[in-house]
Amino acid sequence: MNQSVWGPAQQEMADLLSNHPDDVPGVVEQLRELQTILTRVPPLLGENPLCDFNKLYLTITEGVLERLYAGKFKDPAFLSRLDVEFAARYFDALRAWAGTGSSPRCPEVWSCLFQRIPGPDCRPLPSACAGVNAHINFDLPFALVTTFDHLGSDPIDDSEQHHDYLEINEIFAESIPGLRRGYLEKWQLLIDMMNGRLDDWWQGEAIEYTRNVAWRNAQKLWGLRHDMTATDRERSTLDNTAAGVNKLLLSPLGAFLQ
Amino acid sequence: MASEEEDGPLVGRAGTLTQVQSDLRNAGPGGTSAVFVTGESGVGKSRLLRETARAMRDAGFSVLSGTCLDIGDALPLHPVLQALRQSGHSGPALAADAGDLLDRVSRDLLTVAGDRRLLLVLDDLQWADRSTRQLLLYLLAGLGDVKIAVLAAVRAEALQGAHPLRKVLAELRRLRSVRVVDLAPLDRDQTVELVTAVAGDTVEAEDADRVYKRSGGNPFVAEELARDLRDGRVELSDTLREIFLSRVDELPPHAHAVVHAIAAGVEPVEHAVLARVVPLPEAELIEAVRAAVAHRFVASADDGYRLRHRLVAEVLAAEVLPAEAAARHRRFAEALEVDAPGDHGRLAHHWQRAGEPARALPSVVAAARSAEELYGFTEAHRYWSSALELISDDAPERTELLAHAAEAAHLCGEHLRALSGLDALALRPDAPNPCDLHLRRARYLAAAGRTATAEEEYERVLTSPDCSPRQRASAAAYLAELLLHLGRYADANARAQEALEMAEVNGSTADLVRASAALGFSAAFREDPDAGLAVIRHAVEIAERSGHPDELGVAYLHLAELLTGPLNSIEEGVLVARRGAERLASLGAGRTYQTRLLAIAAKGLFRVGQWSEADAVLDDAMRHRPSGADAVELLLSRCQLWVGFGDVDAAHRDLDAVATLLAGGGARHVLPMLTLRAGLAMWQARHAEARAAVQRGLTETRSDDLVLIGVLAWHGLRAEAEAHAAGQPVDPGALRRLKVAVERMAAGAGNAAAPVRATIDGYLDLCAAEQARAEGRHEPDLWARAAQAWDRRRQPYPAAYSRLRQAEAALQRRSRKAAATAALREAYATATAMGARPFANEIVSVAQRHRVALADDVPTVPMPAPAPPPDDELGLLTTREREVLAALAEGLTNREIGEQLFISERTVGVHVGHIFDKLQVRTRVQASRVYLTAA
Repeated sequence: MNQSVWGPAQQEMADLLSNHPDDVPGVVEQLRELQTILTRVPPLLGENPLCDFNKLYLTITEGVLERLYAGKFKDPAFLSRLDVEFAARYFDALRAWAGTGSSPRCPEVWSCLFQRIPGPDCRPLPSACAGVNAHINFDLPFALVTTFDHLGSDPIDDSEQHHDYLEINEIFAESIPGLRRGYLEKWQLLIDMMNGRLDDWWQGEAIEYTRNVAWRNAQKLWGLRHDMTATDRERSTLDNTAAGVNKLLLSPLGAFLQ
Repeated sequence: MASEEEDGPLVGRAGTLTQVQSDLRNAGPGGTSAVFVTGESGVGKSRLLRETARAMRDAGFSVLSGTCLDIGDALPLHPVLQALRQSGHSGPALAADAGDLLDRVSRDLLTVAGDRRLLLVLDDLQWADRSTRQLLLYLLAGLGDVKIAVLAAVRAEALQGAHPLRKVLAELRRLRSVRVVDLAPLDRDQTVELVTAVAGDTVEAEDADRVYKRSGGNPFVAEELARDLRDGRVELSDTLREIFLSRVDELPPHAHAVVHAIAAGVEPVEHAVLARVVPLPEAELIEAVRAAVAHRFVASADDGYRLRHRLVAEVLAAEVLPAEAAARHRRFAEALEVDAPGDHGRLAHHWQRAGEPARALPSVVAAARSAEELYGFTEAHRYWSSALELISDDAPERTELLAHAAEAAHLCGEHLRALSGLDALALRPDAPNPCDLHLRRARYLAAAGRTATAEEEYERVLTSPDCSPRQRASAAAYLAELLLHLGRYADANARAQEALEMAEVNGSTADLVRASAALGFSAAFREDPDAGLAVIRHAVEIAERSGHPDELGVAYLHLAELLTGPLNSIEEGVLVARRGAERLASLGAGRTYQTRLLAIAAKGLFRVGQWSEADAVLDDAMRHRPSGADAVELLLSRCQLWVGFGDVDAAHRDLDAVATLLAGGGARHVLPMLTLRAGLAMWQARHAEARAAVQRGLTETRSDDLVLIGVLAWHGLRAEAEAHAAGQPVDPGALRRLKVAVERMAAGAGNAAAPVRATIDGYLDLCAAEQARAEGRHEPDLWARAAQAWDRRRQPYPAAYSRLRQAEAALQRRSRKAAATAALREAYATATAMGARPFANEIVSVAQRHRVALADDVPTVPMPAPAPPPDDELGLLTTREREVLAALAEGLTNREIGEQLFISERTVGVHVGHIFDKLQVRTRVQASRVYLTAA
């Protein structure tokens, strides 16, 4: 990191990100500390768009942990690994962020959000959605592939893992009361325009829909995972598509939708 | 022409170099160390590797280097075998199984190293095949017995997305003997220093600054830009690609051809091959190579030429016309057919890219077979798949290739591909018999965990009139096995009965053994243990008659598992397991089975409290140099012993080794590992660590592993209780979650088979008592109840532990001091007999606190280290056998000995048989005489 993108929180950020949590309680802890640090990043402090996402993500991960402890999942081993792998990609993106134009290793979709940290201010809802979009549309399929690879099983529809995976949708639904149906549908429309799937837009809630897309993408990547070139190609396609959505969300149009 | 000395100045890496060398020298407890260098292209990873290798060689290390290939068609273990070849090894002879291969390669490495420590340097590890990754973990876990240091470079770009190394590095970076070094670009001052070193002191400050801005501190780019500055060239581009292209354009024509050829080749490109690909007169060719080296594109070594930076190949690949590339690959293929006809991987690579499918096919098939010989089923599967792409749909070979591809996919765990391959196979006009296909599909489905569909496939074989009686017998036996795994004991029992009848008439011995095992286990689980035992004993007899190592191995394994598991006849199970292992050893075969049998024996011995004996058995098993899941099981068993003995260093070493192996996959062993971590932390009074391990385990448990949950929950509650006893706060959240886990276990116990239920009940008792202790209640009755439960299970360790807590609770209540003293003394006797030092010391401290004498005539002191076993004629006998012999010499009958030692009369009979064998005597009188003479 050549320049200080996190301002006075630079050192704390570096220290925190040198941890690589390997279980769900660890992830929750890391997100919680991250939240504290993020509220100290000038000039927007607690109002910065990453705060909005991180807060939402923390709530969701706490929900996952609660359900894990309560034995709500059929395959907790799968879900824990997935949660850890999933979060690791967010932390990786943060680690790679060194400012606009000098973060070759930071996915474009995350860069879109990170570069808005210093402003101009954008509305909390689109900010959180931009993070959710980056995390689900880009990070999630890869996290799924790594998790399945680790557990030595395949991503199969209607399997126990698939069931657990879909269970998370409920946590999302509970955690985003602000995402009222009207907004969701507009957001949905946006995603579908980007993906060219206009006919699907009314079928369900945004999160559920994009998470299904992520599951399909993971199945696609799974088939390619030994072909590094094809995987790389797929990665940049996913990154570009998701980044396109984020640019729209963070544009005045996103605020208009709220 | 050696060009490595022409490396530019090394700037800003002095600290990293020293650190890497010291990390490599600093071997962990397992005698191994590793440094993984990650960073973007051009940041100087290869350079760091070279410099470190040179320094380590000077420091007396034996250094081997290999590079992973990006051709996607490399043979398994390519970089390591390449490294071995450079030091004169021809490559491994055919191995008996995948574990044997790892063993052989590590022996070769050992030979190369001699008495020096070995440094294995691997560049471009992001392209490593799966076998290489597994070998690496095997070596780093210390299983190869090679004192090895590994230094590897990984392109950071590759670690994005879902690269398999990503997970491996994430797991490894937790180990003390592994470092992951992220090589950052140079900062401004370092870049300026580099520019000055290349271009001289006369460089203007703003020029140097511009180099920094344009290169982003990437030393490779900065160095090239500095050269331009020095040579007065105006550089308009600042991407690597443009820099390279402008440089290539400046090359003389012949050198240009040489660079393009090497870029298209598989490195190292031998001179003879290059001479055929670039057909120039000798002198001109050498001149051209010299120019390519002088322009810093090519490096030359004894084994051939390489590009100085592989990025050049990637840049050039995008510039070359397809026809041009095809022609070049064709020339490579033709050259290799003359110079390296056995190099199937390279031949396949070039012929495929030459657009000559017909000529590529034989090489691709040959490469697939060589990969299978090296147990690289992932690579084999890729070769079989590319072979399928090379031929048309109506080619007659297609059927056979499909069959191979599907099987290879099954063997490397690609379940979906295996199944879709089988579907394609079924559609062929000359498809194999449909019954065979059903059987194979069922096997693949079961492996993929899709048991319901697998069951249907087996049913199809059983009901189809077209299937032969042999196929039906096989299907019934597999189905019975599957049902058993699913816990459907009644169904399994019925199927197994049926299978056994069919197999006796029409089946192979393997089917017979499989059916017997399923019948035996299902009977035992259905509370008819004697019937089950009889069936499996019969299976062992059948296997003994066939004398086939695999069948013997399976049969002994089943018998030992049945005895030590559901029947809880541990001593006899241990005997059977050891007898089986000896039997296979005498045949010189079935290494994997021997290892597994010994693992069962060791586990059994641990449970019955014969720890030093378990230690000896584990030593024996480790001598078979196991790998993969077998190695993990053994290491976990051994670690359990270290925790019990209180050998903290050894326990950490084995836990690290387990973590290393698990970095490559193996989720089902995570829970036992976490349980041991908690157990170890507790003896060291590190309650928070123990708590964290258990809580992580709770989130990763599959809810149907009730026994595993039982052990884990007990550890968790114990950690809270110990924290409470030490005056530290109890974590209410953790306690609440543990209670939930216990409730779930209690609710599930009702559905478990009777023998499993007995174990679960034992843990429920321990959990209830531990929970009371964590809440500050002194409940001797709860502990007495747990002690009785474990006495019934004949497991002295948890029983003695319960007695200690029973005594402690009673003493704290100041009631029943006599009973408490007796319980404490009994626990102490057990602890000392097992060698359980931390446990014994815990008993001593409780005794001292409450002023209880642990023996009438011995002062209460902490336990010293154990004495070595006696070294006389009786040294061949196990501890238990010596006890039996002592009793026998007193003139006791088998029944009386059994009563005295709390084992069955039958088990005593087996022990006596072994004693006679070992002492080479035939009667009890002769045996007594040997004993009395020695004593």
